[in-house]
Amino acid sequence: MPRVPEGPPRRQFLKQGLAIGLVVAAGQSLRPAQLLSASAGPDPEVPNEQVAKILKDLFGGRPIRRGQVLLDMPVVAEDGRVVPVIIEAPDLPMTADNYVKAVHLIVDHNPDPYLAAFDVTPAMGKLSLQFRIKMKRTTWVRAIAETSTGEVWADYARVNVSLNGCG
Amino acid sequence: MNRTIGDARIRVPSRIQQGEIIPVSAIVQHPMDTGFFRSADGQPIPAYFIKDVTVTYAGRQVAHFMWTSGISRDPIVTFTLVADREGPLSMRWVDNKGAAFEQTAQIAFSTT
Repeated sequence: MPRVPEGPPRRQFLKQGLAIGLVVAAGQSLRPAQLLSASAGPDPEVPNEQVAKILKDLFGGRPIRRGQVLLDMPVVAEDGRVVPVIIEAPDLPMTADNYVKAVHLIVDHNPDPYLAAFDVTPAMGKLSLQFRIKMKRTTWVRAIAETSTGEVWADYARVNVSLNGCG
Repeated sequence: MNRTIGDARIRVPSRIQQGEIIPVSAIVQHPMDTGFFRSADGQPIPAYFIKDVTVTYAGRQVAHFMWTSGISRDPIVTFTLVADREGPLSMRWVDNKGAAFEQTAQIAFSTT
Protein backbone atom coordinates (compact mmCIF):
# COMPACT_ATOMS: atom_id res chain seq x y z
CA MET A 1 0.00 0.00 0.00
CA PRO A 2 1.47 3.42 -0.93
CA ARG A 3 2.26 5.66 1.99
CA VAL A 4 -0.02 8.62 2.35
CA PRO A 5 2.03 11.83 2.61
CA GLU A 6 1.70 13.52 5.98
CA GLY A 7 0.70 17.18 6.09
CA PRO A 8 -2.18 19.60 6.16
CA PRO A 9 -4.42 17.76 3.61
CA ARG A 10 -4.47 14.71 5.87
CA ARG A 11 -5.17 16.79 8.97
CA GLN A 12 -7.95 18.54 7.13
CA PHE A 13 -9.35 15.21 6.07
CA LEU A 14 -9.31 13.98 9.66
CA LYS A 15 -11.12 17.11 10.80
CA GLN A 16 -13.77 16.55 8.17
CA GLY A 17 -14.04 12.97 9.33
CA LEU A 18 -14.63 14.14 12.88
CA ALA A 19 -17.30 16.54 11.69
CA ILE A 20 -19.01 13.77 9.76
CA GLY A 21 -18.76 11.57 12.85
CA LEU A 22 -20.55 14.16 14.96
CA VAL A 23 -23.29 14.48 12.37
CA VAL A 24 -23.61 10.69 12.32
CA ALA A 25 -23.86 10.55 16.11
CA ALA A 26 -26.53 13.23 16.09
CA GLY A 27 -28.40 11.44 13.33
CA GLN A 28 -28.48 8.18 15.22
CA SER A 29 -29.86 9.75 18.37
CA LEU A 30 -32.74 11.08 16.26
CA ARG A 31 -33.75 7.66 14.99
CA PRO A 32 -36.50 6.78 17.49
CA ALA A 33 -38.24 10.07 16.75
CA GLN A 34 -37.98 9.44 13.02
CA LEU A 35 -39.67 6.11 13.47
CA LEU A 36 -42.84 7.84 14.53
CA SER A 37 -43.15 9.63 11.22
CA ALA A 38 -44.56 7.82 8.20
CA SER A 39 -41.29 7.69 6.31
CA ALA A 40 -37.79 7.97 7.70
CA GLY A 41 -35.07 9.66 5.73
CA PRO A 42 -34.76 10.05 1.98
CA ASP A 43 -36.17 7.46 -0.38
CA PRO A 44 -33.61 5.05 -1.77
CA GLU A 45 -32.72 5.25 -5.42
CA VAL A 46 -34.89 3.37 -7.89
CA PRO A 47 -33.66 -0.24 -7.93
CA ASN A 48 -31.35 -1.10 -10.81
CA GLU A 49 -32.40 -3.89 -13.17
CA GLN A 50 -30.73 -6.64 -11.12
CA VAL A 51 -32.22 -5.46 -7.83
CA ALA A 52 -35.64 -4.94 -9.42
CA LYS A 53 -35.60 -8.56 -10.56
CA ILE A 54 -34.64 -9.79 -7.08
CA LEU A 55 -37.49 -7.79 -5.55
CA LYS A 56 -39.95 -9.08 -8.14
CA ASP A 57 -38.87 -12.70 -7.61
CA LEU A 58 -39.20 -12.34 -3.83
CA PHE A 59 -42.37 -10.33 -3.46
CA GLY A 60 -44.11 -10.39 -6.84
CA GLY A 61 -46.36 -7.39 -7.08
CA ARG A 62 -46.84 -6.95 -3.33
CA PRO A 63 -46.20 -3.38 -2.17
CA ILE A 64 -43.00 -2.89 -0.19
CA ARG A 65 -43.86 -0.33 2.47
CA ARG A 66 -41.30 1.62 4.42
CA GLY A 67 -41.74 1.29 8.18
CA GLN A 68 -41.84 -1.22 11.06
CA VAL A 69 -38.35 -2.46 10.16
CA LEU A 70 -35.25 -0.68 11.46
CA LEU A 71 -32.01 -1.08 9.54
CA ASP A 72 -29.06 0.29 11.48
CA MET A 73 -25.78 0.66 9.59
CA PRO A 74 -22.92 3.13 9.71
CA VAL A 75 -23.23 6.16 7.42
CA VAL A 76 -19.52 5.77 6.65
CA ALA A 77 -17.94 2.32 6.46
CA GLU A 78 -14.18 2.72 6.40
CA ASP A 79 -13.49 -0.95 5.70
CA GLY A 80 -15.89 -2.54 3.23
CA ARG A 81 -14.79 -5.98 4.36
CA VAL A 82 -16.50 -5.63 7.71
CA VAL A 83 -19.65 -3.51 7.87
CA PRO A 84 -21.96 -4.06 10.85
CA VAL A 85 -25.67 -4.55 10.25
CA ILE A 86 -28.49 -4.49 12.81
CA ILE A 87 -32.04 -5.30 11.75
CA GLU A 88 -34.89 -4.95 14.23
CA ALA A 89 -38.66 -4.71 14.15
CA PRO A 90 -39.72 -3.95 17.73
CA ASP A 91 -43.36 -3.29 16.85
CA LEU A 92 -44.05 -6.24 14.55
CA PRO A 93 -45.79 -9.11 16.39
CA MET A 94 -44.04 -12.46 16.86
CA THR A 95 -47.03 -14.60 17.83
CA ALA A 96 -48.09 -18.00 16.51
CA ASP A 97 -50.62 -16.53 14.06
CA ASN A 98 -48.87 -13.30 13.10
CA TYR A 99 -45.11 -13.12 12.88
CA VAL A 100 -42.15 -12.10 10.77
CA LYS A 101 -41.23 -15.13 8.73
CA ALA A 102 -38.25 -13.87 6.75
CA VAL A 103 -35.86 -10.97 6.42
CA HIS A 104 -33.92 -10.27 3.23
CA LEU A 105 -30.82 -8.11 2.91
CA ILE A 106 -30.04 -6.58 -0.48
CA VAL A 107 -26.96 -4.46 -1.20
CA ASP A 108 -27.67 -2.68 -4.48
CA HIS A 109 -24.17 -2.32 -5.92
CA ASN A 110 -22.52 -5.48 -4.60
CA PRO A 111 -21.45 -8.13 -7.14
CA ASP A 112 -24.11 -10.42 -5.63
CA PRO A 113 -26.75 -7.98 -4.35
CA TYR A 114 -29.02 -10.53 -2.62
CA LEU A 115 -26.61 -10.96 0.25
CA ALA A 116 -28.54 -12.91 2.85
CA ALA A 117 -31.95 -14.19 3.89
CA PHE A 118 -33.00 -15.09 7.41
CA ASP A 119 -35.99 -17.37 7.96
CA VAL A 120 -37.21 -16.66 11.47
CA THR A 121 -40.00 -17.99 13.72
CA PRO A 122 -42.07 -16.86 16.74
CA ALA A 123 -39.69 -18.96 18.89
CA MET A 124 -37.27 -16.05 18.58
CA GLY A 125 -39.63 -13.76 20.51
CA LYS A 126 -38.77 -10.65 18.51
CA LEU A 127 -36.93 -9.71 15.38
CA SER A 128 -33.38 -8.67 16.22
CA LEU A 129 -30.48 -9.72 14.01
CA GLN A 130 -26.88 -8.56 14.03
CA PHE A 131 -24.14 -9.61 11.65
CA ARG A 132 -21.36 -8.18 9.47
CA ILE A 133 -21.20 -7.88 5.69
CA LYS A 134 -18.85 -6.95 2.86
CA MET A 135 -19.57 -3.97 0.64
CA LYS A 136 -17.97 -3.08 -2.68
CA ARG A 137 -18.82 0.59 -2.86
CA THR A 138 -21.16 3.34 -1.68
CA THR A 139 -24.71 2.18 -2.17
CA TRP A 140 -28.16 1.72 -0.72
CA VAL A 141 -28.80 -1.28 1.48
CA ARG A 142 -32.33 -2.70 1.76
CA ALA A 143 -33.61 -4.74 4.71
CA ILE A 144 -37.01 -6.19 3.85
CA ALA A 145 -39.18 -8.23 6.21
CA GLU A 146 -42.03 -10.47 5.17
CA THR A 147 -44.77 -11.31 7.67
CA SER A 148 -46.85 -14.48 7.90
CA THR A 149 -49.87 -12.41 6.88
CA GLY A 150 -48.19 -11.36 3.64
CA GLU A 151 -47.15 -7.83 4.53
CA VAL A 152 -43.79 -6.57 3.30
CA TRP A 153 -41.97 -3.93 5.36
CA ALA A 154 -38.61 -2.33 4.60
CA ASP A 155 -35.99 0.07 5.81
CA TYR A 156 -33.14 1.48 3.78
CA ALA A 157 -29.69 2.81 4.57
CA ARG A 158 -27.18 4.55 2.36
CA VAL A 159 -23.67 3.50 3.35
CA ASN A 160 -20.57 5.34 2.15
CA VAL A 161 -17.83 2.79 1.62
CA SER A 162 -14.19 3.97 1.76
CA LEU A 163 -12.40 0.67 1.11
CA ASN A 164 -13.80 -1.88 -1.33
CA GLY A 165 -14.43 -5.10 0.58
CA CYS A 166 -15.40 -7.33 -2.32
CA GLY A 167 -12.30 -7.38 -4.56
CA MET B 1 -3.39 -17.32 15.80
CA ASN B 2 -4.30 -20.93 15.45
CA ARG B 3 -7.20 -20.97 13.02
CA THR B 4 -9.22 -24.02 12.24
CA ILE B 5 -12.00 -23.66 9.71
CA GLY B 6 -15.26 -24.65 11.32
CA ASP B 7 -14.33 -23.89 14.93
CA ALA B 8 -17.49 -22.42 16.39
CA ARG B 9 -18.70 -20.88 19.62
CA ILE B 10 -22.19 -20.03 20.85
CA ARG B 11 -22.67 -17.55 23.67
CA VAL B 12 -25.83 -17.40 25.78
CA PRO B 13 -26.41 -15.51 29.05
CA SER B 14 -25.09 -17.30 32.14
CA ARG B 15 -28.31 -16.71 34.06
CA ILE B 16 -31.57 -17.35 32.27
CA GLN B 17 -35.09 -17.09 33.69
CA GLN B 18 -37.73 -19.29 32.12
CA GLY B 19 -39.67 -17.43 29.44
CA GLU B 20 -37.29 -14.52 28.96
CA ILE B 21 -36.04 -13.46 25.54
CA ILE B 22 -32.29 -14.06 25.51
CA PRO B 23 -29.62 -12.89 23.08
CA VAL B 24 -27.63 -15.64 21.37
CA SER B 25 -24.30 -14.88 19.67
CA ALA B 26 -22.46 -17.33 17.49
CA ILE B 27 -19.20 -17.23 15.58
CA VAL B 28 -17.70 -19.76 13.20
CA GLN B 29 -14.19 -19.60 11.75
CA HIS B 30 -14.43 -19.49 7.98
CA PRO B 31 -12.55 -17.55 5.26
CA MET B 32 -15.76 -16.60 3.37
CA ASP B 33 -13.80 -16.19 0.12
CA THR B 34 -15.78 -14.37 -2.56
CA GLY B 35 -13.96 -15.82 -5.55
CA PHE B 36 -12.99 -12.31 -6.72
CA PHE B 37 -9.52 -12.19 -5.15
CA ARG B 38 -6.19 -13.65 -6.24
CA SER B 39 -3.44 -15.02 -4.05
CA ALA B 40 0.02 -13.38 -3.89
CA ASP B 41 1.24 -15.55 -6.80
CA GLY B 42 -1.69 -14.55 -9.02
CA GLN B 43 -3.80 -17.67 -8.65
CA PRO B 44 -7.53 -17.00 -8.32
CA ILE B 45 -8.90 -17.92 -4.89
CA PRO B 46 -12.12 -19.85 -5.50
CA ALA B 47 -15.33 -18.92 -3.72
CA TYR B 48 -15.50 -20.70 -0.37
CA PHE B 49 -18.17 -19.62 2.08
CA ILE B 50 -20.87 -20.68 4.55
CA LYS B 51 -24.15 -20.79 2.66
CA ASP B 52 -26.57 -22.28 5.13
CA VAL B 53 -27.09 -22.00 8.90
CA THR B 54 -29.75 -23.82 10.91
CA VAL B 55 -30.64 -23.14 14.54
CA THR B 56 -32.36 -25.89 16.51
CA TYR B 57 -33.65 -25.44 20.07
CA ALA B 58 -34.83 -28.39 22.14
CA GLY B 59 -35.44 -30.43 19.00
CA ARG B 60 -37.28 -27.76 16.99
CA GLN B 61 -35.80 -25.72 14.16
CA VAL B 62 -36.24 -22.06 15.12
CA ALA B 63 -34.27 -20.29 12.40
CA HIS B 64 -32.59 -20.86 9.06
CA PHE B 65 -30.17 -18.41 7.48
CA MET B 66 -29.13 -18.39 3.82
CA TRP B 67 -25.84 -16.63 3.32
CA THR B 68 -23.51 -15.72 0.45
CA SER B 69 -19.84 -14.78 0.35
CA GLY B 70 -21.01 -11.22 1.11
CA ILE B 71 -21.05 -12.13 4.80
CA SER B 72 -17.76 -11.10 6.45
CA ARG B 73 -14.95 -13.52 7.26
CA ASP B 74 -15.44 -15.56 10.45
CA PRO B 75 -19.20 -14.94 10.45
CA ILE B 76 -20.80 -13.66 13.61
CA VAL B 77 -24.54 -13.64 14.03
CA THR B 78 -26.60 -12.46 16.99
CA PHE B 79 -30.30 -13.24 17.33
CA THR B 80 -32.89 -13.73 20.07
CA LEU B 81 -34.67 -16.74 21.47
CA VAL B 82 -37.59 -17.24 23.86
CA ALA B 83 -36.05 -19.45 26.55
CA ASP B 84 -39.21 -21.39 27.38
CA ARG B 85 -37.65 -24.84 27.83
CA GLU B 86 -34.42 -26.30 29.07
CA GLY B 87 -32.50 -28.13 26.39
CA PRO B 88 -29.77 -27.94 23.80
CA LEU B 89 -29.44 -25.01 21.41
CA SER B 90 -27.63 -26.36 18.36
CA MET B 91 -26.31 -24.59 15.32
CA ARG B 92 -25.14 -26.15 12.09
CA TRP B 93 -23.18 -24.25 9.46
CA VAL B 94 -22.81 -25.76 5.96
CA ASP B 95 -20.36 -24.34 3.41
CA ASN B 96 -20.46 -24.39 -0.39
CA LYS B 97 -18.11 -27.40 -0.46
CA GLY B 98 -20.60 -29.39 1.59
CA ALA B 99 -18.68 -29.40 4.87
CA ALA B 100 -20.87 -29.05 7.98
CA PHE B 101 -19.81 -27.63 11.32
CA GLU B 102 -21.82 -27.91 14.53
CA GLN B 103 -21.87 -26.43 17.98
CA THR B 104 -24.27 -26.73 20.91
CA ALA B 105 -24.98 -24.64 24.00
CA GLN B 106 -27.21 -25.74 26.87
CA ILE B 107 -30.18 -23.61 27.83
CA ALA B 108 -30.68 -24.12 31.58
CA PHE B 109 -32.68 -21.97 33.99
CA SER B 110 -31.34 -20.26 37.09
CA THR B 111 -32.79 -21.74 40.27
CA THR B 112 -32.97 -18.43 42.10
